This record gives sequence, C-alpha cells and structure tokens, in this order.
Amino acid sequence: MDEVITNQSLNKSFGKSLLYTLPMFLITFAFISGGRINFSDHSGILAILLTFLGMNILYFLMHYTGKTDKFRAILFIIFALSLSFTLIKNMVAIRHSMSFSQADIVECKIPFCHLVIPMMILPAAFTKSIIFPGTILGGFANISSMVVLWLVATIVLGRGFCSWGCFYGGWDDGFSRFRKKPVIKKISGYWKWMPFAVLLMVALTAAISLTPTYCSWICPFKAVTEFEQVTSVESAAKAGMFISLFGGLVVVLPMLTRKRTQCSFLCPLGAINSLSNKITPFIVKIDKKVCNECLKCVDVCPLFALTPEDVKSGNVSVFCSKCGKCVDACPRKAIHYGLKGIPAGSMKNFSRNIFLFVSFLFIAVFSSGSIITVLKSIFNLFI
Amino acid sequence: MKKLKIAAGILWAILCLILIIVLFPGLNTFSSNVSRMPFMKINHNFTGGEAAEQKIMENCTLVIRKPVFDGLIGERRHGFVQLDWRGRIPEILSDTIDYDMDMKPDFAIRINRTESSTVLHSMNPKVKGTGISTPTSYGWSVRVKIIK
Amino acid sequence: MLDTFILGLSSGSTCLLTCGMVIFPYLMAGSAGTRKIITDLSFFLLTRLVVYFLLATLAWYFGKAILTSAIFRNYVSGILYILFAVMLVWYSISRNRKPDCPAKIVTTVNNKKLVPVLLGVVNSLGFCPALFLILTNSATQGTLARSYLAFLGFFAGSSLYFLPLPLAGRIRKKKVFETVGILATGLAGIIFIIKGITNLIGGIING
Repeated sequence: MDEVITNQSLNKSFGKSLLYTLPMFLITFAFISGGRINFSDHSGILAILLTFLGMNILYFLMHYTGKTDKFRAILFIIFALSLSFTLIKNMVAIRHSMSFSQADIVECKIPFCHLVIPMMILPAAFTKSIIFPGTILGGFANISSMVVLWLVATIVLGRGFCSWGCFYGGWDDGFSRFRKKPVIKKISGYWKWMPFAVLLMVALTAAISLTPTYCSWICPFKAVTEFEQVTSVESAAKAGMFISLFGGLVVVLPMLTRKRTQCSFLCPLGAINSLSNKITPFIVKIDKKVCNECLKCVDVCPLFALTPEDVKSGNVSVFCSKCGKCVDACPRKAIHYGLKGIPAGSMKNFSRNIFLFVSFLFIAVFSSGSIITVLKSIFNLFI
Repeated sequence: MKKLKIAAGILWAILCLILIIVLFPGLNTFSSNVSRMPFMKINHNFTGGEAAEQKIMENCTLVIRKPVFDGLIGERRHGFVQLDWRGRIPEILSDTIDYDMDMKPDFAIRINRTESSTVLHSMNPKVKGTGISTPTSYGWSVRVKIIK
Repeated sequence: MLDTFILGLSSGSTCLLTCGMVIFPYLMAGSAGTRKIITDLSFFLLTRLVVYFLLATLAWYFGKAILTSAIFRNYVSGILYILFAVMLVWYSISRNRKPDCPAKIVTTVNNKKLVPVLLGVVNSLGFCPALFLILTNSATQGTLARSYLAFLGFFAGSSLYFLPLPLAGRIRKKKVFETVGILATGLAGIIFIIKGITNLIGGIING
C-alpha cells in the first residue's frame, strides 16, 4: 500500500472549517437572498433557507474532509437537473410545450446560453450584430448578462468553468458516476482534440450562414431544454440528432467509460475555455518530489487532461477543469491546486483555499436561482 | 525573480477573488454597459429588419419592413421581407404589397388565420415564395423570400 | 461556394501537412531570400488555381453531358457526395494512413524555375476525397461560372494554410494542428454526407 503523506493534509479541524465557511456563509446569504425576503411566501423562504444551508454544508465539508470532487459534483449535478427542470417548467407554463415555435424566433424570445458564444465571435466582428434570436437586455437569460457571466468566469476559472459553472456539465458528470468501474477502459486521447475541430467548423458554418449552427443541429442538451417544433423533415432530423447525441455522449458513453465524453469530445466552448486556462491564475500542479507516478490521477481524470507523459513532466494539460478528482485520488497528495508563479508543492493549503472560495462562490450563486425555483415548486405541492 | 513570480501569482488570484465577489451584485451594471457596445444588437436575419412603412387599417396596423439581405461580408443574393400585422387582426388577412417602393405591386398575400393557410401571388420575378408565416403575440408575421 | 470554402479550409491543413514538408524544404533550400520564397509560393498557388479552373471546366462539361435531368443529377450527386464524404470521414479516423506527397518526384527536376509550377500541378491533381467531393459539386452546378466559384472557394480555403509556409519552421506544436485539421476534415465529410442525403431525398421525392 502506498505511503500516505499526512504532513500536508488538506483537511481542517471542525472549528477551523467553520471559520473558513463563515465568509462564504455571509456572502452567499447576501447574494442568494438579494437582501429582500418575502416573509409571507413560506415555500419561498423554506427553499432559500434549504439552498443556502445545503450549499454552505457542502463548502464546510470540503474544508473539513479535505476532499473536493464529490461535494462539488453534488452541487454541479443538482444545478444541471434544476436548470433543466426550471426551463421546461417555464416553457410548458407559457407555451404548453418544450418546443419553441417560429413565432418565438421571429419575436427573438429564445433564452441565451453560453454555448452560443463560440459562434457569435466572427459574425459579431464582421456584421456588428449577434446571430441569435434572443433579448439583449432584460428578461430571462438575456445575452448581455450571460456574456458577462461567462467572460468573468472564464477569465477567473479558465476551463474550471466546465466543472464549476456550466449548467450542462452536471449531466454527463452525473452519468459518469453511475458505475463503480468502467466497462470501456481504453479511449484514445486523440479524440480529446475533437472539440477544437468542432469549434473550427461551427465557427465557420455559423459565420457563413449567420445562424448558430451548433444550437440548430448538434447541441445534445436540446433534448433536456428546448428545441424547434417538429414541423418538417429537417426539424425532425434535428430532433433526432439532439436525442441521439444526448443518449450517446451524455448518458451511455459516460456510464461505460466513467468519463465526461460530451465535454471531452464535442463541446466547442470547452475548447475556448481550455485556451483561457492560460489566463487564469488557478492551476493544478504535480509535485514531482512526492509523486511516484502510480498514474491513479490519469485513470480518474474525466476530461483526459492527464497523460502518463504529463505526470512524468509534472505539467497538467490545458484540458484540466480543476474538478478535484485527481487531487482527491492521489494517495501521496502530490497533485494539488496551485497558483501560477508558486512552485509545485508550496502553499498548497493557501492555493486550495483561495481557489475553493472563488469557484464555490461562483457556482453557489449562479445555481441558487434554479435550485430555489425547484425546491419552491416541490414545497408548493405540500404547503 | 522567484519571489516576484509568487507575488504576481498571489496578486492575480486575489484580483480574481475580488472580481467574483463584485460580479453578481454588479451584474446589472456590467450587462447594461456591455449591451451598449456597437455589436450588441440582434442580426436583422432574426429581427426581420427595420420598419420601412406602416399602413394603418381598420383595427390593425401593417408594418412592412425593409428587405433583409444581410450576409457576413456585404449582402447576399437571397433575402426576405417581413410583414407584421399588429392589433385586432381579422380572420382573413389580404393585402397587396409594394416592398421596394417603386409604386408597382410586388405580391399579393392572403392569410386565413383559422386554417393557418398562407397563399402568395407573385407579381415580381424577384419574389420567390413564402418563408415563415406564423401567429405572434402581437398578431401575425410573414417572411416572403425575395432575391436582389 | 461557401460549403466548398469550408471543405477547403478543413482539408487544407491535411494537404499542407502532407505536402508542406516537400514544398517547404524546396522553398528554403540554398540561399533563398524572402522575395524568392514569396515568388515561388505565388507561382505554386497560381498554378493550383489554373489547374483547378481547368478541372472545374472539365467537371462542368462532363456533368452537363451526363447528368441531363435534374432528378438524375440529384440521385448521382447525392450518392457521390455520400460515397466521397464517407471516404473523407474514414480518412480522418483511420489510424493507418500514411500520407505521401505526390509532389515528391517533382523536386528531382533539374530546372529550379519550373519546380514551383510543377509542384502546384501535382499538388492540385492529388486525388483525395476532398477533391472528389469538389468535382462532384462542380459537375452539378447550373452554370460554368458557378462551377468556377465552387473551385475558387475550395482554392481559397485550402490556400490559406500555405500562406504562412515560409514561417512553418517556427510553428510549434505542429502535431496539434495536424490532429485538429484531420478531425475537422472528418466533420466536413459529415456535412457533405448530410448534403448528399438531402440531394438523394430531393431526387426520390421529385422522381
């Protein structure tokens, strides 16, 4: 059995963990409640309270146990489910259907999501306009707010957005945890470059056709949010693509491989976020003095961010989403959260603490709206 | 040099921390500022173009928009012209449209809202057919395909 | 023209990486200055353009002679698109491909002034799935001008990769570009499969 290095343990005592949780407690209270609580809305208060407490318990446990991934994943998966539920509920309430009609396109009422961003850039540069039938400001998921949120998150977290912010990532993260052991163990790392090829093609096709081609044809998450009404062979083909890709890349392959295959093999935004990993100060580092190259980190990494060559060289690739799975899995604590400029093996606790605060705060506030909506709907059934 | 790198890394991390803390309370302000940027407007291929003419009828208004030929660079050969009927629109909509303002009618359109049928009679070889024809929250919209 | 531009852009990186290592050493051989490199590259690209226009003319006339009815055109183009696009996709996922530049033999020619021109001829006649797709597209165009435009789009897309050729030695991580380029080629193949199926369905419905 590998010797476990305990002198640099990341877990804290109960009191210390509470102390570290206190700033998160105060800030999330202010942000989630918005300073305005309607005391007559009992289900609303209960929902806010439960969300707030649940999030802070998760954050506390991250400090108390020294583990990151499983607590992050709980919130990440709940976020994905709650957002889909909220979207579907809204659509059914307004349109009595999960599909949007031609009228919604003509009236520019489609909610915006960050996956459109890679397709927007070239047309925005050439035509000085946004190729999406949404609202610029105001309303649900308007373009300006989503762009700001994504931009700040990607500058601060880099590809960490894919594990701490993306409200779709929780789907394949969740399915990848179904089985204890993978059925398909060997997948070539060659395919992890596919998102860059997808990015190139969707950026070009969107620029040339002036339509968001990824959203129109290949976004798997249309299967759990909203899609164009099926009124023709073309729209039926599109619906078929969405369902097939969701079934294959989000459900089946993650279950068989224990990897996040949609994020690794398709998502063009993941490709852009990989590039922004060069900007963010937060990275995962390998302390070569401690590492014995057991390669457990390579096995557990869900995004093919680690190869045996990376471990040998001590450098984690740009595909790393800082999910914490490798950090938790390493028996020698050789792989850890770090800051750029600080050598590997140094200031581990400080680096982890500051990264956790930044990333958890983002996901906590970003996800709170949809989680509260879901809880409120559940409570309204009983209260 | 090593100490400088460490200090720079920590400083950048702290700046990111501050950025995340101000992001959510300041989201409305940041969004408003971003929305004022020159490229933050929806492409005409989705909005239908600017209004060119308004015809006020008995109970409703017909808005004839400018033809849209927007392409990535310059204009495309194929485009459309959008018509919006707004207000208390009748069951049958029937109008003759001159979209290019040359005082000659270009097409006649008849919409039966009950049957959701749209019939287009072209009087100009540039008019190629009906694209979208749909009820909207304000009435009815049609996009007629045209060429330059 | 736009879909052929995309095809050129996605397959051009593979084209460059197959033949770039033949062309580049030639361009940088001896005491070639920047002006000479640009001149040779211009001749290379110009020759490719001329050959493509010739191919466009031949393909269009062939199409006009053989594909007489619109319905037959839909059937044939649909089947050919699917066939060549599948070849393109297979090329991108095949692990056993050994790309061999057909232009290698040209560099043995003694007359150095002719080499860029001959390289251009052989490179543009290198029969690959992408060229077969563009020939099919060209043969089904309504007018000769449209056939030229289709090839022009393909030329523009594929030539972009050759423009920074003189700096190729300085580009790090060439393997990454090769991998992404090959994967993008496969995706372009999928787009043409869909186009082929659309043409075929059009032919079946109208037939």
